[in-house]
Amino acid sequence: MLKSGMASDSSPNLEVATPERVALSLPVAGIGYRCLAWLVDATLLFFFWVSAYFVLSLLVSDLLTAFRGLSGFVQTLAVVGLFATQWLYWTLAEVFLHGQTPGKRLLGIRVVRADGSPVGVYESAVRNLLRAVDFLPVFYAIGCLSMLFTRQHRRLGDLLAGTLLVREERFNLDKYTAPAQAAPHAVSLTAASVPSRRLGPEEVELILAFLERAHWLEPDARRTLGLRMVERCGGLSEEERASVLASPESVEGFLRTRIQGAR
Amino acid sequence: MAVPLPVFVGQRRPDWEALQGLLAQQREGTLGLEGLRRLDTLYRRAAADLAHAQTFYPGTDAHRFLNQLCGQAYAAIYQPPRERWLAVRDFFRREFPATLRAEGRFVAVSAGFFILGLLLGSLVVLLEPRGAELLVPQGVRDYVAQGRMWTDDILSVAPPNAVSSGIATNNLTVVIFTFASGILFGLGTVFTLVNNGVQIGAIAALCAREGLGLKLLDFISAHGPVELSIITIAGGAGLMVGQALIDPGELPRGQALVLRGKAAVKLVLGCAPFLAGIALVEGFISPGTLFPTALKGALGLSLGALFWSYLLRAGRDTSLSSTSLR
Repeated sequence: MLKSGMASDSSPNLEVATPERVALSLPVAGIGYRCLAWLVDATLLFFFWVSAYFVLSLLVSDLLTAFRGLSGFVQTLAVVGLFATQWLYWTLAEVFLHGQTPGKRLLGIRVVRADGSPVGVYESAVRNLLRAVDFLPVFYAIGCLSMLFTRQHRRLGDLLAGTLLVREERFNLDKYTAPAQAAPHAVSLTAASVPSRRLGPEEVELILAFLERAHWLEPDARRTLGLRMVERCGGLSEEERASVLASPESVEGFLRTRIQGAR
Repeated sequence: MAVPLPVFVGQRRPDWEALQGLLAQQREGTLGLEGLRRLDTLYRRAAADLAHAQTFYPGTDAHRFLNQLCGQAYAAIYQPPRERWLAVRDFFRREFPATLRAEGRFVAVSAGFFILGLLLGSLVVLLEPRGAELLVPQGVRDYVAQGRMWTDDILSVAPPNAVSSGIATNNLTVVIFTFASGILFGLGTVFTLVNNGVQIGAIAALCAREGLGLKLLDFISAHGPVELSIITIAGGAGLMVGQALIDPGELPRGQALVLRGKAAVKLVLGCAPFLAGIALVEGFISPGTLFPTALKGALGLSLGALFWSYLLRAGRDTSLSSTSLR
């Protein structure tokens, strides 16, 4: 559990030095995120075109003869629209939606410059025009190779534009501030006893990860994991330990008060 | 002395959430002056909290949350000046032609490759007639064998505005690819330039041999000069990228690439509206016999002269003063 919490440390990061003298490190989005985001965008465009095709073919069909004169205009519209979705869609979306196409927004990734600042028109135009080469010979083969061989997973367009994709995660801060609601007798008990030492941040994260998941665990697993947590925290006499381990609720209440450090 | 992590989060969380709210406002563009001041204060506090978390709670979710929050605020506060619509006017008045003049040698080299292709293609077909079977597409050869121009049928199949938009997107695709393939050490650009030159040269030579030379001239004279100029310019942009890769000079390769790529894309973006305009000419004026050949030729030459005089003269007097102001 501890390892899964640290997973993002194994992927490459974009290190940014700020004028506030704090180093930021933004997690870089890998090839999987990027392929998924592209698939979402491609699907969007595909369904846009399927529906547009039906509407247009209805307009120029013999059913609605009134619109037949429009057929040339509609064809123009179709050709220009196809071009726009192929080239303009990406750049316009990235410039106006702060570095995100709809697909990227769904996946929680964002295009930024190599110094962490938002992309401008030129950068976005370069990286999206280079799709012509990255797409070669089929389905972004060159782009994928380039992403595999560069440290920050950049395709050729990103290399030329000086951009890369960073990941944005959702964090649940509620777990830190959730009150110790249940099992009042466990709280009073630990208030009386004095824990021997303060917990380190890793242990706090471990316990929080357990508390978050406790409600979904099988009863057996919940009991054994809770027992291990209590033993790891330590600092309890024999009869205190017995009363804490009486029920899962009292175990979790004890752990909650233990990490709050409220004594 | 560090307080326990949950206490730290509990104490500081209201500030972080306020910062998140302000950032959302900033993204929507509804942030007032008061909010801006508060954003600045809150960002500094969050940066201090991040430094605290880096020291006392590394690797926790709270640390990662602060890291991301500060990253977003940093991007919002230190963002480069945004390009506004006014900048578009300035771009076409000054920046695009100035960039082209500065990178003129690349455009010249690109023109050299294109002309080399033209000569190769036409020489092969003129000296060895069977060479046309290799170099000229089957469809075009069928038409020429019947003594007709393939362009005669363009208008009868589709209305002219559809033709012109089709031509515009096709040409834009060629231009984009000519530029983009410069990332393959410039080889892609050279190949595209020579290849296009060979094809056009071979077709021209084939038409000339079959006695269709005048008809071909009739078709291409109105749009040819500007269109070929634009492809040459895009080729120049691709060569710039290739040169930065092969010989980055004093900079590391990555940085040189970014720097030159930004200048190169200006050439491509600048060409786009002219390409769209010339596609109108190619779709409406070039095909058919509505306009006499002489008129088409005169139009083509004057458009070409206008285009190049714009490129070579526009913004020349203002370029010095405005760069010194920056």
